[in-house]
Amino acid sequence: MFLKRISRAWARAELAAAAALAVAITGLILTNVVTRAMNNSIFWIDELAIYAMIWMAFLAASASLAHRDAISVTFLKEVLPAPAARWIDIFVDVVVLGFALAMVHFCWRWFDPIDFARAGFDVIAFQGATFNFIYSEPTMTISVSKVWVWMVMPLFALGATLHAVANLVARLSGAETAEAIPLPGDRP
Amino acid sequence: AEDFRLGLLTPPQHMWTLAANSFAEQLAEASGGAHSVEVFPARQLGNEAEMLQLMQTGALDMAIITVAEISNRAPEFGAFYAPFLADDIAHAGRILRTDETRALLDSLPGTVGVVGIGYGMAGLRQIVGRGPLESAADLDGLKVRITPFEPIRDFYVALGMAPTPMPLPDVYDALANGQVDAVDMDAEIIWLQRYSDHAQTMLETNHMMFPAVALVSARIWAGLSEEDRAMISELLGAAIDSTIDSYVAQDPVWLADIAGTGITYTAVDADFFADATAAWDAIWSERAGDTLTTLRAVADATRE
Amino acid sequence: MTAAVFGLLLFGAVPIALVLVISAIWYIQSSGNEVLFDSFAQQLFAGVESYGLMAIPLFMLTGELMNEGGLTKRLINAARVFVGGFRGGLAYINLLANMFMAAIIGSAASQIAVMSRAMVPEMEREGYDRSFAAATTAAGGLLSPIIPPSMLFVIYGVLAQVPIGDMFLAGILPGLILGAAFCAVITAIGLARGFPKGGWMSRPEALRALRDCAPAALIPVAIVGGILLGIATPTESAAVASLIAFLIGWLLYGEIKLSHLAEVFVRTAKNASLVIFLVAAANVFGLVIVYEAIPQQLAERLSALTSNPFVFLLILNVGLLLIGMVLDGISALILIGPILLPIATGIYDIDPYQLGVIMCLNLVLGLLTPPVGAGLYIAAAMSQAKPTDIFRELLPFILVVMVVLVMLSYWPAITTALI
Ligand code: NA
Ligand code: NA
Repeated sequence: MFLKRISRAWARAELAAAAALAVAITGLILTNVVTRAMNNSIFWIDELAIYAMIWMAFLAASASLAHRDAISVTFLKEVLPAPAARWIDIFVDVVVLGFALAMVHFCWRWFDPIDFARAGFDVIAFQGATFNFIYSEPTMTISVSKVWVWMVMPLFALGATLHAVANLVARLSGAETAEAIPLPGDRP
Repeated sequence: AEDFRLGLLTPPQHMWTLAANSFAEQLAEASGGAHSVEVFPARQLGNEAEMLQLMQTGALDMAIITVAEISNRAPEFGAFYAPFLADDIAHAGRILRTDETRALLDSLPGTVGVVGIGYGMAGLRQIVGRGPLESAADLDGLKVRITPFEPIRDFYVALGMAPTPMPLPDVYDALANGQVDAVDMDAEIIWLQRYSDHAQTMLETNHMMFPAVALVSARIWAGLSEEDRAMISELLGAAIDSTIDSYVAQDPVWLADIAGTGITYTAVDADFFADATAAWDAIWSERAGDTLTTLRAVADATRE
Repeated sequence: MTAAVFGLLLFGAVPIALVLVISAIWYIQSSGNEVLFDSFAQQLFAGVESYGLMAIPLFMLTGELMNEGGLTKRLINAARVFVGGFRGGLAYINLLANMFMAAIIGSAASQIAVMSRAMVPEMEREGYDRSFAAATTAAGGLLSPIIPPSMLFVIYGVLAQVPIGDMFLAGILPGLILGAAFCAVITAIGLARGFPKGGWMSRPEALRALRDCAPAALIPVAIVGGILLGIATPTESAAVASLIAFLIGWLLYGEIKLSHLAEVFVRTAKNASLVIFLVAAANVFGLVIVYEAIPQQLAERLSALTSNPFVFLLILNVGLLLIGMVLDGISALILIGPILLPIATGIYDIDPYQLGVIMCLNLVLGLLTPPVGAGLYIAAAMSQAKPTDIFRELLPFILVVMVVLVMLSYWPAITTALI
């Protein structure tokens, strides 16, 4: 299935990036320990590490929606007969898709790309017209605009949408048996 | 009739929160019960950056926050943090009550999306150290905890220190376990959080004022009648202004309390910091422009 | 209506994080506060913008590397030297290891994640029921925020304006009492059920076990020492510990293959993201609840019921237990702490340390109670046991926590004696 293959490949990329970010967090925090021991603290490390953690979390969270392994309460599903359980599976897939689309909507409202383009990508004109200050929010210590850091949210929303559509289509077309492609890091 | 929400960082018994509560009561009374204000203390609606963002969207109506957070978005407000702008806490209060400082608030709707109603106060900044601090040379190379905003960072960089931004909840532990060597803080918190447990030295420096500002969301403001605007300006303005008197009265008491803990307590002045003030001015006369000149003039005019 | 949507989604097996987010969206829509949608995605992000949360992936990484490198195995093997021959020895080892880890980790959720992966397979191998093993581990995780260091105590200390160091002291006696009580539960269950009996090691075996574990013991030493000596924050200690675990597992024990390292980091990222995403979701859910001033109304009703402090605390325990069922501990504390504090300390003259320990213990208990119990589901995910089975095995532990809570409510001295 084409859509499913794209979703899988994207999830693999998300997890690879998340794992790289986990390495980065560890490295940054260790650097902090070393530089402070040498009385030479680098003041932007904490903030950068926090952003690395958030990127890691949202990228991996999107992948977990692809693999359907986010934490959920399954006892009702477990006691129901198979046909009813299948309806619950479909219900979950639909709800996840609804959530993903809602996130796309919220990111659209927040980043407001159309009005930003209309303002000629002029931040001052844009916020004067919309009272939306997203493009002028600063970070504390890493001297980039916060909007770059926030980009993980639309990335998360789009990834989640892709996975949700792929999962739902696969589920409805009965192709779900082909799901168990092992991924690096999947629990045995 | 409107149901307003007002957010702040401070805990329920704190002066700012009490001022907010009294504003809530007065507005309800003055509007004959038409308007109400629900106060959300203790960062229930998020930290100052988050509250500002909520106000920008209009989800939060009002807030009392530090000018520091504003200065991250409107650099001219960094001028309030000019080292030794105010001689003492009473002088800081007089500076905040001039028309010139009030006029600075006029730019806020355009730059930050909020309407500034008036100023309040949170004491003056002091330095607490884990080890002995006898001269500015002792500060060199030390890690100092700061509130994360640029003017204060530049001051400590000028002193050769390593400023470490850190949220308030982490400070006590950081001081206890040596994660930082010194802390930049006001007398109230130094006393209430008992930093003297883990610090040897208290420098009464009064090196920086730490104003607060009462804000209304510009989106909400645009939808209010002239009459409501006047009522809110007057009552919220008076409430936030009352914190200035509270701090002028209370700050010396806290300082005496701290001195009474047996900590090595030294009062120092601008001379202690040698060239740091000049270095700071060089950066901020650029960034804060005319505002710094204005505030220095205001400070001279209100000096007693 | 929002409650119905919440229940439908929750029992409909929708991921819990999404249940919280969608309920929040639903409530915003139905209460006409659509203005919150403008900052919704931003609030989701802001909810996890916290330095302390980084301890979660780092402690998980340490756990992964300790498992992968054979450190956990050797530590448990060494503990077997002391209590392994007793009936139920491994269950006691689990509890002792948990108490020890509690002195290292500040968050119950991360401790449950780390310890489940380490202890449950071991216990299962020795013939324990998997759900019981997971339940013992999850209960042990409750010690994490009570025995210092503790993220909850830090947050509470700030809310209540009490020194965090003293708050930590307040947790020590209750934590030890809780540990002893759990020990009694395990003994009772062992008597009723008959635990697998381990064998004592021969002297050469025992000596070898102790020698083998000596380098692995560096990890807790690094973490505890790092924090106590003030060299590092808990987050940094975790990073240092992960580095040490890696070096020992790779160079000394020769069990970590560099080719497996990528998998270790993928697993860390996946497992940590489950927790962090849940915290993010709990935060937007919490924001909506606060925004509607629901905790205030709840607290007002509570204070109208009695004037006796002990009765008030008992009511508070029940209320917090209910709140803990549907909210994550940290967000629940942030939501109701500021409301309850003035009532408890002002009207009932309750000691703020006593109140703090009671609130925090109640709210971490909520991690183990359905329908929303992150700890329960983390234990389930890590051990591959069913949450319902784990919960059934947890009931005796939960009952014991309630008894301890009543003791804490009745005798303030348990919390204040060491301060
Ligand atoms: Na702990
Ligand atoms: Na719960």
